[in-house]
Amino acid sequence: MWNQIRQALNESTSRVIKQIANLLPGIAALIVALLVAGILAWIITFLLRRSLRRIHFDERLSTWGLQSLAHWSASETPTVLVTRVVWWIIMLVGFLIGISAFDATLTPRFFERLFGYLPNVFAALILLFAGNMAARFLSRSVLIGAVNMNLQYARLLSAGVKWMVLVLTLAMVLDHLSIGGHIVYLAFAILFGGIVLALSIAVGLGSKDLISRSLEREASRSNEEIESPFRHL
Amino acid sequence: MVELSTIPEQTKQQIEQIRTVDLVIGLVDEDAGQTMTRIAEVVREGLARLTKSVRAVVLHQDAGANAGTALQNGLEDESLRFLSYAPAPAHRSIMLVESIVAAYRSIGEISHKLGAKASVVVASSPEGLTAEWIYGLAQPILERDLDLAAPCYAPNKFEGLLNSAILYPTSRALYGKRVVNPLGPDFGFSSRLLQSVLLDSWARGPGARLPLVAPEAVLRGLKVCQAHIGKRIYPPLDWKNLDSILAEVLDPFFLGIERDAAFWQHIRSSEPVPSFGDSLPWTEESVPVDTRRLLEPFKLGFRNLREIWSLVLPPSALLELTKADRLPPEQFRIPDELWTSIIYDFALAYHLRTIGRDHLLRALTPLYLGWSASYAIEVETLGGAAVQRRLERLCIAYENRKPYLVSRWRWPDRFNP
Repeated sequence: MWNQIRQALNESTSRVIKQIANLLPGIAALIVALLVAGILAWIITFLLRRSLRRIHFDERLSTWGLQSLAHWSASETPTVLVTRVVWWIIMLVGFLIGISAFDATLTPRFFERLFGYLPNVFAALILLFAGNMAARFLSRSVLIGAVNMNLQYARLLSAGVKWMVLVLTLAMVLDHLSIGGHIVYLAFAILFGGIVLALSIAVGLGSKDLISRSLEREASRSNEEIESPFRHL
Repeated sequence: MVELSTIPEQTKQQIEQIRTVDLVIGLVDEDAGQTMTRIAEVVREGLARLTKSVRAVVLHQDAGANAGTALQNGLEDESLRFLSYAPAPAHRSIMLVESIVAAYRSIGEISHKLGAKASVVVASSPEGLTAEWIYGLAQPILERDLDLAAPCYAPNKFEGLLNSAILYPTSRALYGKRVVNPLGPDFGFSSRLLQSVLLDSWARGPGARLPLVAPEAVLRGLKVCQAHIGKRIYPPLDWKNLDSILAEVLDPFFLGIERDAAFWQHIRSSEPVPSFGDSLPWTEESVPVDTRRLLEPFKLGFRNLREIWSLVLPPSALLELTKADRLPPEQFRIPDELWTSIIYDFALAYHLRTIGRDHLLRALTPLYLGWSASYAIEVETLGGAAVQRRLERLCIAYENRKPYLVSRWRWPDRFNP
């Protein structure tokens, strides 16, 4: 009896050790692939950054009428953004090469499913990032624009735009991850429909006097401006 | 390489026939073609005051319908010709700056093609054009061998506020030359300046940025002067788009500051440039001033944009703004030291890209209107001499505060309370 238990334990231990040993080349390959990709990425981005600076990429981008693209990330120049994107793409390729080394040791079905789902995860991450950036950018644009148009409810408008974009982004992310299924569609449609209906009713019924007063005030201001002695430019 | 892209075919042929001229006078206003008889008289009168006779060409925007009108009316002769160029695809208000830039470019290209020794660009309304304008802007270039004649208009305390508040004092403090209207928009310039400043910048790209004529001329060591030319009629603008106009003007201005940082950090003080013509007295007209229209956006901006301003301005400036916001309207003031710090901090934030550049420039609008309100309240009852002293104090504040900008430009991460 004791011998049988010992034999079973020995066999299972050797099996686990064998499996770990089988995994080791894959892990080593992953590390090597990441290291090589890192070195390659460093060299390529270094050369790319130098080339972009030499051709004055940032200035050219604005002369090509793509200033808004440069504004999406305020703290980084377009050159840094491009090099960073290239760096991550190379690292991702290196990671995928490294991961593929496991093919022989891990269940192909698991990888098939994992790799089948990975594009969705990446797309969802990109969507989340882009949506968040867009929400921040648009809410700030609306806030500044509304203040400069002298709208008293500027902050409310800005917050509204921010949450609309965030909700839309979240719905798209969940859809990409195939989480929630039709519930997300329904919830999103009800939420958006509800917001639009509420706004329509509010503007159409409750706020018509407010809107007309506001428009009258703006019209009278236009007349005032003609007589204003101030000339700015 | 000069591309005559916006020039009608007929004009191109006329350029080939004319070959060379001494002076090109470019009219930016799209309606100038309709008052050509008066303009021809004014131009002839201005040119007659020059010591030598010159061959000149007047360029005006014309869609083709009025082409040949000048010739038919017998306005042309050997010494004065009229040519047209295609109107820029833009209109007043928010497109004002863009249309001026497009017209500058067309006029510059034709002037270069004609090998003119001097060019005069009249971007203001031609209604106010007098012989003094033509003579004042052309004479320093043709007869004194200078490179740039910047305009000096008849001063009025409520006109050209953006220039008085930001453009003139900043360019004076940074570039060291007291050119009252550094961005014109009316100029006389030499072929040297056209070649080295304007054509050079246009060759770099098709951007529609306002050229920083006077600062770039100073930067390149060209000879700059200013001419007292008379009253300017300011164009009617859509004030609802003031933030767009502010952004269109300040974007190239701050970009120039960023580009020329190595130059202006070594300038210690400012000096006057040669001035020609008789300076006109201040317009002493008494007009009722309603500062509510200026104060309201400032207060609204203070309530809503403080978070954005706090990314750009140090806490001490925000505290000063809080104090200003609490003052009753009649006592509302933005001190000169605070205003200069705000402009320098915004220039620095533009350079550092603290927030998106378009957002940054538009977020300055309520602050600018706040300064305008403070200034209007202060000078409402003052005479011309007192207003001049008031604006000179602002310029000196900019110069005194310049070490702050230099220090922050070099060490932006240093603690700034």
